[in-house]
Formats: sequence, C-alpha cells, structure tokens
Amino acid sequence: MFFIHELNRTITLHPSYFGPHMRDYLIHKLHEDVEGSCTGRYFIICVIEYENITLGRIIPGKGDAEFTITYKAVVWRPFKGETVDGVVSSVNKMGFFAEVGPLTVFVSSHLIPRDIKFDPTSNPPQFSDNGDQIINKGAHIRIKLMGTRSDVGKMHAIGSIKEDYLGYDMPHYVEMFV
Amino acid sequence: MSTSNLLNQDFDADEDDQDFDAGHLDQDAEGEPDDEVPPAGGHVDDDDEEDDEEEDDEEDDEEDEDDDLPQRKRARRPPRNQFLDIEADVSDEDEEDPDEDEEDGAEAGFIADEGDRPELSDLRQYPRDDHRHRELDRKHEAEQAEDMEQIAAGFKERHGRSARRRMEDSQVVPRRLLLPSVNDPSIWGVKCKPGKEREIIFSILRKQEELANTKAPLQITSAFERGNTMPGYIYVEAKKQADVMHALQGVSFVYPMTKMILVPIKEMPDLLFVMKKAEITPGTWVRFKRGKYQGDLAQVENVLASGLEVKIRMVPRLDYGNGADMDEPNGSKRKRNPFGKSGSLAGRPPQRLFSEVEARKNHAKYLSQSTQGLKKVFTYLGDEYEDGYYIKDVKLNLIQTENVNPTLEEVSKFASGGDDGTESLDLNALAQSLKKTVSTYQVGDTVEVYDGEQNGLVGKAVSVHGDIVTLDVLEGPLKGKRTEVPFKGLRKRFNPGDHVKVTGGSRFRDEVGMVLRINEDRVTLISDTGMTEITVFSKDLREASESGGMETGGKYDLHDLVQLDATTVACVTKIDRESVRIIDQLGNIRTIMPSQIASKLSNRRPNVATDRNGSEIRVGDTVKETGGETRSGVILHIFRSFAFLHNREETSNAGVFVCRTNNVATIAAKGGRITNNQPTGPDLSKMNPAMQRNGRSPDSSAMPPPRTGGRDRTIGQTVTIRQGPYKGLVGIIKDATDDTARVELHTKNKIVTIEKAKLSFKDLHSGNTKSYQEFMRPGGRGDGGGYGRSPSMASDRASSWSGSRTPQSGFSGSRTPAYNPGNKTPAWLNASDGSRTPGYFAGSKTPAYGMDGSRTSYAGNKTPAWNPSSRTPYASDNDRSTWDAGSKTPGRPNLDSFMDSNSTGSSHNNSSYSARTPGASYNASSPDFIPPSYNSKELSAPTPGGPISAPTPAMSAPTPGPISAPTPRDAYSGAWGGPETAPTPAPYGAAPTPGASGSYGSGNAGGGSGGSRDPRGGYYQGAPTPAGGYGNPRTPGVWAGDDDEIRYAEPTTL
Repeated sequence: MFFIHELNRTITLHPSYFGPHMRDYLIHKLHEDVEGSCTGRYFIICVIEYENITLGRIIPGKGDAEFTITYKAVVWRPFKGETVDGVVSSVNKMGFFAEVGPLTVFVSSHLIPRDIKFDPTSNPPQFSDNGDQIINKGAHIRIKLMGTRSDVGKMHAIGSIKEDYLGYDMPHYVEMFV
Repeated sequence: MSTSNLLNQDFDADEDDQDFDAGHLDQDAEGEPDDEVPPAGGHVDDDDEEDDEEEDDEEDDEEDEDDDLPQRKRARRPPRNQFLDIEADVSDEDEEDPDEDEEDGAEAGFIADEGDRPELSDLRQYPRDDHRHRELDRKHEAEQAEDMEQIAAGFKERHGRSARRRMEDSQVVPRRLLLPSVNDPSIWGVKCKPGKEREIIFSILRKQEELANTKAPLQITSAFERGNTMPGYIYVEAKKQADVMHALQGVSFVYPMTKMILVPIKEMPDLLFVMKKAEITPGTWVRFKRGKYQGDLAQVENVLASGLEVKIRMVPRLDYGNGADMDEPNGSKRKRNPFGKSGSLAGRPPQRLFSEVEARKNHAKYLSQSTQGLKKVFTYLGDEYEDGYYIKDVKLNLIQTENVNPTLEEVSKFASGGDDGTESLDLNALAQSLKKTVSTYQVGDTVEVYDGEQNGLVGKAVSVHGDIVTLDVLEGPLKGKRTEVPFKGLRKRFNPGDHVKVTGGSRFRDEVGMVLRINEDRVTLISDTGMTEITVFSKDLREASESGGMETGGKYDLHDLVQLDATTVACVTKIDRESVRIIDQLGNIRTIMPSQIASKLSNRRPNVATDRNGSEIRVGDTVKETGGETRSGVILHIFRSFAFLHNREETSNAGVFVCRTNNVATIAAKGGRITNNQPTGPDLSKMNPAMQRNGRSPDSSAMPPPRTGGRDRTIGQTVTIRQGPYKGLVGIIKDATDDTARVELHTKNKIVTIEKAKLSFKDLHSGNTKSYQEFMRPGGRGDGGGYGRSPSMASDRASSWSGSRTPQSGFSGSRTPAYNPGNKTPAWLNASDGSRTPGYFAGSKTPAYGMDGSRTSYAGNKTPAWNPSSRTPYASDNDRSTWDAGSKTPGRPNLDSFMDSNSTGSSHNNSSYSARTPGASYNASSPDFIPPSYNSKELSAPTPGGPISAPTPAMSAPTPGPISAPTPRDAYSGAWGGPETAPTPAPYGAAPTPGASGSYGSGNAGGGSGGSRDPRGGYYQGAPTPAGGYGNPRTPGVWAGDDDEIRYAEPTTL
C-alpha cells in the first residue's frame, strides 16, 4: 500500500561542497540516497517535498557538516494479505518468484492451485494447467501476500495464488510483449 | 521338592515383612530331613515321602483350608522339627528309630498305633547303654519337640493369620508404616558385570542353600537385581556390610571390592517399584531390535491373543534376488550364515515398499497372491506383504516399545497416499507415540486446543505449570477469558507467512523460515537460507523474531569462506548441528565436520580480480557467467582465480556456486563503481558539484588532441618535460604513441617514456614553447602552411580570419616577398607588361582613384588599411551572397561594374577588363575592402548608373577612406611590386595634402545629381588632377587613356 510518509534524513557534507550550490546538492543527494531504497519495512518510492533543511552543523574534528532534511515521500509498504500484481522473474519446481516493483515474492507450489502443475519438460520451466494459464518467466500474475520478512535493507515475501481471482493475468498483453 | 516348597512359601508370603523368617524356619523344618533321609531304609523313605507329599499337598492347601488338619500336621511336625534344631548325628540316630520301629512294627505285626511306638522301642532298646542316653535325649527332644510344636504352631498360626491380618493391616495401617526404617537391614548396591545380574542372584541363592546349615551361614536377608532399570548392579540386604562381602565371596561377575553403595532408606522402596510396561495397542510405533530390520520403525497392526506376540507392519528391505544368489533366493539360509552380508546392517537393501513387478521378475515362483477383502496380499518367500508393507508376527521381546521416538520422515513412509493426493497419516497413533516426547509451551505461544471439550479454542499461553497451560482465549465467544488446558490436546498454532524457527528434535533444528502451509499439526515452511521446504510438527516450532537469520552457536556462519587444507578453500552452504556442508573451489559439495576445517578466512584485504573483459570485480559485485549456465550472482568471496557467487533464486547449495573469475562478466559493480583505481576516500574533485558544473574536472583536458594520420608529428621534435621526475629536462622525441612519447634526454643518454601532455614543444626557430595541445591544433597547421611554415607567424594566425585577409595581415605584419609573388605577381606582371594594364590603369580608375585613394588613405594615415580588416568579415558575410562570388569575386564584379559603367562600350575597357582579370592582384588585396563600401551604396548604383555614374561607383565608397585605402594599395602594390616605382611613395607623401577630398566632396555635392555619388564625382574630379600629376611618373600610356577623362568629366557634369 502506498503512503505519503514524513521522514528525516541526515546528510553529511564534505567541506568542498560548501558554497552557493550547497542546498541544491543536498537535495540532489537526498534524492539519490533515498529514492528506491528499502528500510526493511517499506520502500521509499519518491521524494515529493522538503519541509525543512536544517542549518549545517560542523562535526567536531572533521570539518564535515551535518544537515537534517525533513521531507515527505511516497512509500510503499507491502502488507500481509495485500493483493498485488507482479511479473514472474523465475520459475523452478518449488514454485516461482515474482517481482512486485522492488519486492521479490516467492509463491510456493503449495500455494498454487492444484490444477496448475509444474511442467518439468517445458523449456523455459513453467507452471501450467495444460490450458490457457501458463506461468513462465515474464508472465503477469496477481498475488496475495501471505507474509513478509524484513532484513536489513531488503524485504522478502511469500505469496499465494490459491484463491479466487488470483493468479495468471492478461494473457494477450503478455504475449505481445514477452 | 524342598525348593518348590521354599519357592511356594516365598511366593505365598512374598509381601510379608516376615517372609524370610518364616521361610527359613520352614526351610529348616522341612528341607533338612529330605536330604538326610536317603541313608535310611526304603520303607521309611516311602513313608517319609508319603508324608512329604501329604505335607506338600497340605501346604498347598493351607491357605484354602487353613487349619483343616491341624492335628495331623502338628503330630507330624515334631519329628521333623526336632531334626532341624538338632545335630545331624542325633537325627541319624533318631532316624534309625523309625527304621527299627518299622521293623519292630513289622515284627509285631499288629502294632499300628504310632503313639505306642516310642514306648515299645524304649522297652526294646533298654538293654543297650545308649538307649538310656537316648531316652534322656529323647525326653529332651520330646520336650523340645513340644516347644517346637508350639513354636511351629505359633508360626503356622501367625503365618495363617498373617494373610488375613495383612488384609486388615492394609486397610488400617498406613502404608508408610510398612516402609523400612533404621532398624531394618540396609541394602547395598554392588557393581557387577552388566547382563549377569540374574545369574549372580542365582549363584547367591545356591550359596545360601549350601551354607545355610554350616557354621557360617550367610547373614544376608535378601539379594535382588533390577534388570533393565539398573543394569550393572545387584542389591544385597544385610545388617552389616561384612555380611555382604561374605555372601559375595567367590561369586563370579560381581565386584564387591569396588565401592559398594549403601542405598539410603528413603530410596529403598524405589528399588522395588515395578515399572509399568507401556501398553501396546494397535497403531503404536515400535522398533525392531535385531536382524535385517534392526532399528527400523514398525507399526503395530494387532496384538495377538496371547499378549506376547504382535502383528507389525513395516517397510520391507528386499533386494528381490538382485543382490543375492539367483539360485538360492531363500534369504533365511543366508541369514543363518554368520558371514552372510544380508544380515549385516551395512549391506542391507534400502527400505522400499514391496513391488510386485520386481518380485515377479526374478522370483515369480516364490510369489503368490491372495485377496483379503479389498486388499491384495502377496506372499513372497514365505513372508506376507500387504499394500507394500511387510506384515509379520513377532514376539514382544524382539521389538522395542519404549523410547521409539519416530521421526516424521520415518512416519511418513507409513503414510499411504490418499486418493486426492493428500497424505493420510494416522495422527492419533503418531501423537500417542510422541506423547512422551517433551512438548514445551512457553509463555506467549499461541496455542490451539484440538481435542476435548474446548476443542477449537485458540489462545495465548500466559503461564505454564507442569503440564497445564493457562491461556487467554483470543477468539470465539470465550474471548478474553482465561482458561486452563492440559498439554494433551493442545498444539501450537501458526499461520501461513509466520516467521518460525525449528526448535525441537528434528534434523532441521535451528532452521528459520516462513510458514507455507499447515496441515493438522504438520507445518511446511520454506527455509530462509535456501529454497528448501521443510515439514515439521508444530510442537517443534517457535515463532522467530521478525528479522534475524539462522542462529548458530558454531564457529562458522553461513557463507563463510573456510580453509580446508593448503590448497582448498570452500564456502559454507549449510550448517547443521554437527556437520557443515561446503562447496569448495572446484565446485565439489561435501559435508564435513567442523573439526575438519582448518581455519576461517575472514577480513581478507579487499580482494580484487578481473573479469573476462578485464574490468575489476570485487566482493559484492553482481556478475554473470559467460559460459555454462550463464548464472548470475553476487560475489561472496574471491579466492585466487575463483569466485564464489550467490544467487537467491538458485535452489541448490543454498544458492552458492563457484566459477572462475575469468569466466564472468560484470553486470553491476557494487555501489555503482565504474572502473579503475578507486582512491581511498572520496574523490573531491568529482564530488564537488561546483566543479562538475564547470563542465570539466581539472585533470581532464577539454578536448582530446585530434587524431592525425600518418607519421606522428611530434617525432623528432625537441621538447622540454614539464612535469614529473624529469621535469625541466630537454630531449628529442624518438617515438610516440597517441598519448605517450619516448624522449631521448639531452642530459643523460636515456630514453624515457612520458605522456605527451607533459611535454612542451620547443620551436627551434623562434625559441617559443608550446604545449602539446597547441602544437597539435589543426588550425595551426593550416596557417603554418600558409606562412610557409614559419612558426613565427603563429601568433598572427590567431587574428587572421580568412584567406582573403591574409594578404592584408601579411602586408601589415611582414612583407615577405614570397607572399606577394604568390598572389600578385602575375597580375602585376601582366598589368605591367601588357599594354592594357597601363591603359587600364590610366584610363580607368586605378590611377585616378588610386591616387585619390592613396591620398585619402594616407590622409587618414594608414589606419584604414587596418580598419578594413576588421570590417571585412562583416562585408564578406553579406557580400558573398549578394555578389555571388568567392572571396575574389567581389573584386571582380566591382571591376565589371566599373568596366560597364566606366567605358560605355569602349573596347578599351573590355580589353582592360579582360586583361585585368588576373586582377588577382585586386582580388587578393582589395576585394575585401571594397565590398563593404560597395555594399551599402553601390549595389544598385553601378548598373543603372552605368553611363553616368559608372565611374563614380567604381570607387564610390561613400567613405572615401576605405575606398581609397584599398585602391592605393593596389596601386602601391603594383608600384612596389614594380621595381622602380619608388617615386610613387613620394607623391603619396605629397598626396595626402591635396587629399582635400572633403572639399571635393562638398564641391561636387552641390553640382552632383546624386547626393552621395556626387561627392565622389567631385572627388574623382578632383582626383584626376592629381592623377594627372601622378600620371606622369607612370606610363604615359596612361595618359593616353586620358580620353577617358571625359568619363570622369561626365559624372561631374551630370
């Protein structure tokens, strides 16, 4: 789910940056550092607004200056039970991985409907029900997140397509672009 | 017989504290006579035997009938009892009596009364001396017998009563009063050889029997062993330790000399506790104790009626004759052979369900089939197989019923697949087997009641006491209530997606993962470390902290780089409790003991390698194999030329694989690092945005020097080194590449290689130095050519704009002869040689306005010559288009217009014109200058005004200055070019003065039709005059062309 979240970031600047463009540089660096990063709980998608940039404080003994920027950003936090769309990135007999934006979701074969089976003979590997639904790399898929796990700086999730309205998505679109 | 009596008695009295006394007494009473009897006659023997038998019967009946025949018994007892307490010889004598009595009796024949016997015998034996003694003795005996009788009776009574009383006691007397106290004998535990306990007890028993009537009977009260519970110990009960020692002397397998353990009084009763045997019910799990199936798990199908045998079901280990001799399929025969391998654990076939197909292949004749109900049952080699399982009736002592601890893996072999693909497992049976295994609930666990009244309740454990869990109900109508539930019927509850850790005793212990699926109390989870699925019981799981990897107590962590031996390193891919799985540098996968690891390679200095493309790779970079499976991964470690990569999406080896560094290509360097030597610390020049905004970093040049084909121009140049250790030295470039030069130093005979950018190039002629950039600049080359490569001109080049102007600059700067000849000479020569030139000059403007121009220009001093240069570009820009000509053309059109306008149809002009064409001379110098003047004013003028104004236009430059300037130059140039024109300058010198052009202009203006031209006209008019003067020095022919003056006149007149 997306949120607008108010955040803080402390940026340390080398003295060689002190000058008229310092502020621009701070903002530039904020964007660079923060956008696309993951805190372990959510992903920061986009910085939209800066509330305040504090005056720089020189760090004693170093000469670097420390600035704290208060900013608002669009963040995405995946929740347990949330339904998301993703693209399959790899398939093996245990299940498949799908990418939901920055998040990698694993869908175990336990959480795939019974009728969709792993086809070991196919190349590339795929899950299919011997009908329309062919889940291979690049397929678009709708997943319900069963659980998320946070590590430092990254997140993993497992998902399920074993429910109504989940699973294989938009075959034509996929065929066109894959 | 005696033993049986003894045993009987023991058993009868087994619960009585006084057993032993009673037993001993009984033994004394009954045992001895039998032993002693044989020496006596057979008759007595018979009699005695009868007695004994009767007694046996009686004693057997005792409990039932109790004292039915007390009389008889008591009557019988005395003689026996008397034997017991009296020495054997006496009893021998005594025994003789009956014999005699018998004989007597036989003699007497009719005497049957037993009571009479003694007297009779007394009477008969009187004569002997002994008899008196014996009589006396017998009296004693009789008395004693009386006593003994009473005692025996007392015992009997007590004994008899004891059974009854005991019943009463157990009702009345508290049990604890029956427990041993300090007054009772102590019990010592003595070490012995394990397994020999029972044997030892029996030998003690024998010893006791042997010594019972010696001088030194055993003083122990009891001896016993505890079999399985306490192997390696026997227990002896005695008052003193010395008695125990005595009792155990000479008994083999027991070691009384080692420390004896005095059993504390409190613990005595525990020694006699009977362990209740686990009840065997169908469905429980057992293990096979020996044979081919030793240690295999089996399930009890049925308990046979006797209770000593059970029917079990297990997964067979069959090789279907593949491993064995084909001719001798009878495994039993082989098994009997102690050296046969089929019985050994190592060589036994794996557990596999019975396969009909396999059996038929080799052993069809040993296979038969029958159906029981719906099931097919096979008989193969005499064994029965049902549903693939081996069905067998076994004795209880062949199976282990306790501490079975089946693992889920083993159990799952017994789970037959259901129709829908789900496994059907007898969970109840399993739960029963596992009941004893410790199941721990901790405060905070979420638990679920799955059995009993409160089935379905979900709660959170608040406290755990014994096997009772207090929980707060989380769901349902009881929500918020607190309730207590026993362990039984309780299980932990998880939800898919929960992050859990395996705590219990499976081999997956300490794995951490996320719950995928829950089926009853089996939970499937996916491990965090590798993409492996694990199924365990929920009781073995615990909720793990949200983040936090595998907890390892060991020295090595996942993905550590470890050294195995001098040449082998490996990466840890899995850590088990006692073993570590590794992948070594060659890709071999092994499971080793941690002790086999020599050391852990940690904190190695940043390790760098180059990939296939020569770019630098470091730990943390993402690379891709260029060959093979083209797997990609993040570099975990680099060891020499091997890289250990990790890719989460790989399923094998926890995603770790190894490949050579020269077989990978970089996909993304860590942190976006690009290449090359990264200095430690930030690169300030790159960091600072201000510097970046200026477009270039200080050390990079604005533009690389142009590539030049062919021989490197720098070769052979004399250079000075500007930077580096050789700074200041001079040398000659001997060889060069694009960036570097090999410089032979003047100072020492040495050739050094130096970047070209660090050289300054020295001009041999001028002595100036140039940087490499300057030296190589393309413009410079063109100029150089133009100037005949005279480097000195270089400085001028900069200001020179175009070819057209060059002459000018050349003019002003330095007048090298070479320059003039190039352009002008021909024209000049032509002009000078040919008649027309003079004519032209004379007739047409040159002289005239040349004169004027010269003057004017001079009047305005020489600046005009210079100014034009600045103007020229401007002029040329516009003119080119309008005048349609190249750099030179402007000059020409001018001339044309001149021609047209000046000479109205005069052939002379034409000729002159044509002659003038070479007027390159003009071109070179004037065109640039002239056009400007023309541009604005002259454009239209020349053509239309042809007849009239033609002349004017010619030099019509509104500003006299400029116009005049060029012209004179032409003239001059011509003049200069000409050897003797020296005079001209002189006039020039004078000329300026008349240069009253202004006056001309004004004068003419009044009369002139065209405002602007008139002045010129006037100007021209005025010009002629001096021209005339001028003309003289020139060729007269010029004057010949004076006719043209008319023309001049015309305009003026107009």
